[in-house]
Amino acid sequence: MAEMLKLGLILMLVALAAAVALGLVNSRTAPIIALQKEMEKQNAMREVAMSLSPGDSLAFDSISVEGLGNPFASVDNTLEIVRVSVPPDTSRIGYLFIAYGKGYSSTIQTMVAADLTGSVSSSAILYQQETPGLGANVAAPSKLIENYSGRSAEGILLSKDGGGIDAITGCTITSRAVTNSVREGLLAMGDAGLFRTAPVIAEEIPAHQDSCDSEEGAVVSVDGPAGEGGME
Amino acid sequence: MTVTLLLQTLLAAPGTGNSGFDVGRMMAIIIAAIFVNNFVLSRFLGICPFLGVSKQLDSAIGMGSAVIFVMTLATLGSWTVYNLLLVPMGLAYLRTIAFILIIASLVQLVEMILQKFSPTLYQALGIFLPLITTNCAILGVAVLNIDEKYNLGYSLVNAIAAGIGFTLALVLMAGLRQKLELADVPPALKGKPVAFLVAGVMSIAFLGFAGLGS
Amino acid sequence: MSLVKDLTNGIYRENPIFKLALGMCPFLAVTTSVENAIGMGAAATFVLICSNFLVSLLRNLIPSKVRIPCYIVIIATFVTLVDMIMNAYVPDLHRALGIFIPLIVVNCIILGRAEGFANRHPVLNSVADAVGMGIGFTLAMILLASFRELLGNGTWLNINVLGPGYRNQPLLIAILAPGAFILLGFILGFFNILEKRRGGGQR
Repeated sequence: MAEMLKLGLILMLVALAAAVALGLVNSRTAPIIALQKEMEKQNAMREVAMSLSPGDSLAFDSISVEGLGNPFASVDNTLEIVRVSVPPDTSRIGYLFIAYGKGYSSTIQTMVAADLTGSVSSSAILYQQETPGLGANVAAPSKLIENYSGRSAEGILLSKDGGGIDAITGCTITSRAVTNSVREGLLAMGDAGLFRTAPVIAEEIPAHQDSCDSEEGAVVSVDGPAGEGGME
Repeated sequence: MTVTLLLQTLLAAPGTGNSGFDVGRMMAIIIAAIFVNNFVLSRFLGICPFLGVSKQLDSAIGMGSAVIFVMTLATLGSWTVYNLLLVPMGLAYLRTIAFILIIASLVQLVEMILQKFSPTLYQALGIFLPLITTNCAILGVAVLNIDEKYNLGYSLVNAIAAGIGFTLALVLMAGLRQKLELADVPPALKGKPVAFLVAGVMSIAFLGFAGLGS
Repeated sequence: MSLVKDLTNGIYRENPIFKLALGMCPFLAVTTSVENAIGMGAAATFVLICSNFLVSLLRNLIPSKVRIPCYIVIIATFVTLVDMIMNAYVPDLHRALGIFIPLIVVNCIILGRAEGFANRHPVLNSVADAVGMGIGFTLAMILLASFRELLGNGTWLNINVLGPGYRNQPLLIAILAPGAFILLGFILGFFNILEKRRGGGQR
């Protein structure tokens, strides 16, 4: 019995020492990690948002759209959307969102900037862990991502699926994951009434200004200003 | 309290993403774990037992069942501890240490219980259990479930499917290696080298599953 | 003298990959590029050295009945340390190695050396053994990664070697999962021939 107690005590001691050591290091590294993640995100936001209004300094505030139809395009069915405006004017000039697409070996995150009519102005891959030399090529400046620009949800579909976007050779899965996640995100925003015209017909019919600028449809919650960063 | 939380996570609104349980998504997870991202042939988890225990068909099946069993229990334990204990207490960084301890003690516990209550099962699985602690597929599935932000339902499905995928690879390999005994292999490639070549060919075959279910 | 022997032991004579066949999972998984191989090798070597040092230091204090759980806790602690430090200072590499950083815990090389060497050798020898094993593991990974990156992507350590012509149509299979198995099979076969030539192939 005493032997058991002694063994247990030694194990406890070892585990305690380990926990204390890790706690100390964590308190040092956690802020650095958080800062780095935030910086990365902010930089990507600025870079992508630049296409909406080149040369202006931009302000961001975030909202989230819940209850997406496709669980694969988001985290917890919620799409985090950042509204972009040019201060001091508070009316927004476009939106940023991150699309989550389940690829071959990772969930690929794509940062997308869309203007008020729902057509993409720029996009960039934030995170991917696809096969090096194959799926990972989406992250290298690729035709795939560039091709989204100027298109609305309707047009963002692989040629193989009946759309006009060519997949990267040999990696249809990755290309489809990215493309569909961007498309789903745009569709969800359209459903939430964030675009001036329904994105489906955005290219055919001239935008009428009055239609659905209000936030109704899906549940839209406003979180208040998030990243208020000046650009340039 | 814990029970209601568990039930909530398991049974909340079906048809929605991570907070509920969707049969279509479940199927996608199963197919991905068994075929597309097979733990052994595509993710490279559990290679040691894959090579060590694949010489005989019987032992391959034994090892496979033991892995499925422990994987499911380990996922239950690790998911619960992580989401209901570590995260609320802000100790998420103790994940690795907590998981490996859960797995190690679980293996011990299962071994003791089997020995006492089911000697036949113990005879079948017993010798494989100590090997399982250092099987990275077990820790791998526990960590992957957290990284993928699966809820408990999906996590368990993923664990069972991953175990089945592991068993499938192991059993196929064992079958091939039994045939290989009779084949005329160049002397330099006898043993491990040819086993890796066979695994490579199997892995090519499994590449064909890419894109399935997504 | 024995220090030197302990050091070189892991590099060739008892190379963890080619001779002992330990630590295969990260070895096959992260060798898609030389950069990843070096990163993984460094992380594993660090954990190996620290755990061997501590296990050897405490070898007379830890009762043999609870030594395995103690070793596991020690190893897991160092792995978590590496995980945090890499996440903070080399986030790109941390991301590339992904799940295989926490999985260093179950890398059989580390527990194997703690149990098989460090718990009955003095501190200095244990550290020498860890350094040797770590270098052996890293070199083995660099070897396989060189083949895979060169054949599968036309580059070596991200330097373009085989030119754009090759890079447009590389031997992709080398960088995919099957390539790891097949190339390793051939490398092991090649080592077998070397052993035979030397007349020392008593395995």
